[in-house]
Amino acid sequence: MLRMQNLSKVYRTHMIETHALRGFEIEVKQGEFVTVTGPSGSGKTSFLNIAGLLEDFTSGEYILDGINVKGMDDNARSRLRNEKLGFIFQGFNLIPDLSLYDNVDVPLRYRGFNAAERKERITDALTKVGLASRMKHYPAELSGGQQQRVAIARALAGSPKLLLADEPTGNLDTQMARGVMELLEEINAEGTTILMVTHDPELAQRSQRNVHIIDGQVSDLVRKSPTLVAKEA
Amino acid sequence: MIQYYFMLGVRSLRRNPALTALMVLILAVGVAASVSTLTILHVMSGDPYPQKSGRLIVPVVDNGPTEGYTPGDERNDNQASYTDAVNILNSKQGDRRTVLYGVAGSLEAARNDIGVFTVEGLAPTRDFFDIFEVPFLYGQPWSAAEDKDASDVVILNRKLSEKLYGAVNPTGQRVRLMGNNYLIVGVIDTWRPVPRVHRIIGGEGAFGDEDEFFIPFSTAIRHEQSHNGSMNCTSYREPGWQSLLNSECTWLQVWVELHSASDRANFQNWLDAYASEQRKLGRLKRAAPNVQYNVMEWLEHLKVVGKDSRISAWLAFGFLVLCLVNTIGLLLAKFSVRAPEIGVRRALGASRKEIFTQFLIESAVVGLVGGVLGLILAMGALSLIGSISKQLAVVTSMDWMMLFVTFAMAVSAAVLAGLLPTWRACQVTPALQLKSQ
Repeated sequence: MLRMQNLSKVYRTHMIETHALRGFEIEVKQGEFVTVTGPSGSGKTSFLNIAGLLEDFTSGEYILDGINVKGMDDNARSRLRNEKLGFIFQGFNLIPDLSLYDNVDVPLRYRGFNAAERKERITDALTKVGLASRMKHYPAELSGGQQQRVAIARALAGSPKLLLADEPTGNLDTQMARGVMELLEEINAEGTTILMVTHDPELAQRSQRNVHIIDGQVSDLVRKSPTLVAKEA
Repeated sequence: MIQYYFMLGVRSLRRNPALTALMVLILAVGVAASVSTLTILHVMSGDPYPQKSGRLIVPVVDNGPTEGYTPGDERNDNQASYTDAVNILNSKQGDRRTVLYGVAGSLEAARNDIGVFTVEGLAPTRDFFDIFEVPFLYGQPWSAAEDKDASDVVILNRKLSEKLYGAVNPTGQRVRLMGNNYLIVGVIDTWRPVPRVHRIIGGEGAFGDEDEFFIPFSTAIRHEQSHNGSMNCTSYREPGWQSLLNSECTWLQVWVELHSASDRANFQNWLDAYASEQRKLGRLKRAAPNVQYNVMEWLEHLKVVGKDSRISAWLAFGFLVLCLVNTIGLLLAKFSVRAPEIGVRRALGASRKEIFTQFLIESAVVGLVGGVLGLILAMGALSLIGSISKQLAVVTSMDWMMLFVTFAMAVSAAVLAGLLPTWRACQVTPALQLKSQ
């Protein structure tokens, strides 16, 4: 699904060069639920931004669903982002003056679906997150947990192959966080690959695989979750 | 997608309503100022006879004295003497010719409740009505024979006819005008050419009132009807009507309708030949070049569109530029707070090009609303100008073209103002925005 080889990301200012990622190697298979952990400034977010085609990388290779993204122009990257990827952010990032329906509609518009197909997909996605009855509401009228559910619906509406989540439960209380996490697991069970950055060791524990990043490198590539270990035993 | 962006633009008007209202107002005021001055300029410099203005000619021969004249001096006398006017009228040049001067006097109405009042009119020849495409409500122009016989016939304008007779056809009736009884042979319909090219000199000028009545030129001469307009006499003349006709005083306006604009060269040859003939008779001592003007050249020559109208139009445009700069600032402010939204849209698959289109259309929507308000303001300004100045009242009406210009101006101004803010908007780094929220 996703493969990075010897990838590096360097931020340059007049004075200094900062290596956010160096010799970065990772492979995520179709259908996996991978969490990414690491201390602040370790390169987690850079990794997620590069994976999400929101940022360019300095050198190395990045293959997304069999496509080498190196040297792609803005149009092609945007298209690929729209078709293959879904995003969930810590801050939900819903557009405040659009209704839930119109928020979920955004990626579908860029995809160029016709009105009937958009409507079907929006309704399906909002039903899946349990908010179909409130599609005419505005984000400010919802709780944080509900807003994140809408964001998930928006990420899912275009049927992406890979869902990128950046601390999706970071702004939520424990109960809401649990609900969101269960929803993500459900989505993963239906076949969507999920790559999730988190600070929460408990959430990292729940995933099939945790990748730990330190100083822009993967320090511990594979650590199977207890349940998988138990199964193998 | 354009439709989607348009809808987003309309919704976005509601966001920051105060900022949006300010932007719309600034744009509207700038557009209104430009459009109202431009409308006046546009109507003033309009061509009332687009089909034939190129072949409607005013010939001018210089019959001034040589004293105080240096060859090459610009001529400021644009009328003709009786001698020249009648010679050109009888020349058989072009398809039609007319000579005219303004006449005025009292009209004694048959109805007691109206009484005696002053009216202003013109004394042209019969061809005048065809040359200037004057519409008739009743009757028709007087005949060539009536021109020749200097008959006492009159044509009224609609307003005067309705004042005297109401909404009935008055042809065949007689009216006492300037001390004589005239037979009414026709009534013209409302006729307001803008500018009034046929009578810019004398009377009320290029944007004055309608002529109230018309009598044959020959009749006016026979009745020794004094002129109502301007007359220029550069040398002493004996008193008396006949001596006026024999003098070099200029007080008549001559129009020739050529068959086509390409006949102008032939007409020039004739005019030159005529002038040299007259010189042999001891006239036209200056030997200045003989000039002919078509309608648009005539308007230009008489400076119908004043310098102040042009200057005010330029000032208004300067003001619009100022408004534009303000709008750029406001749009920058409006768009800069939208960075998080841009980040989200980019993440969800919008390319830079799509963000650019979306925000440019949003600017255009502001322009459209500004255009509507600008139109209302411009119409208000024009009617205000019209109510203050009677002279300008006729040029303060907006036509479809100016309506279109208003919207085109408002939208393109807004889009122009939106270019920089929009460019800035699509430079937003999505990754940065998404994290910082």
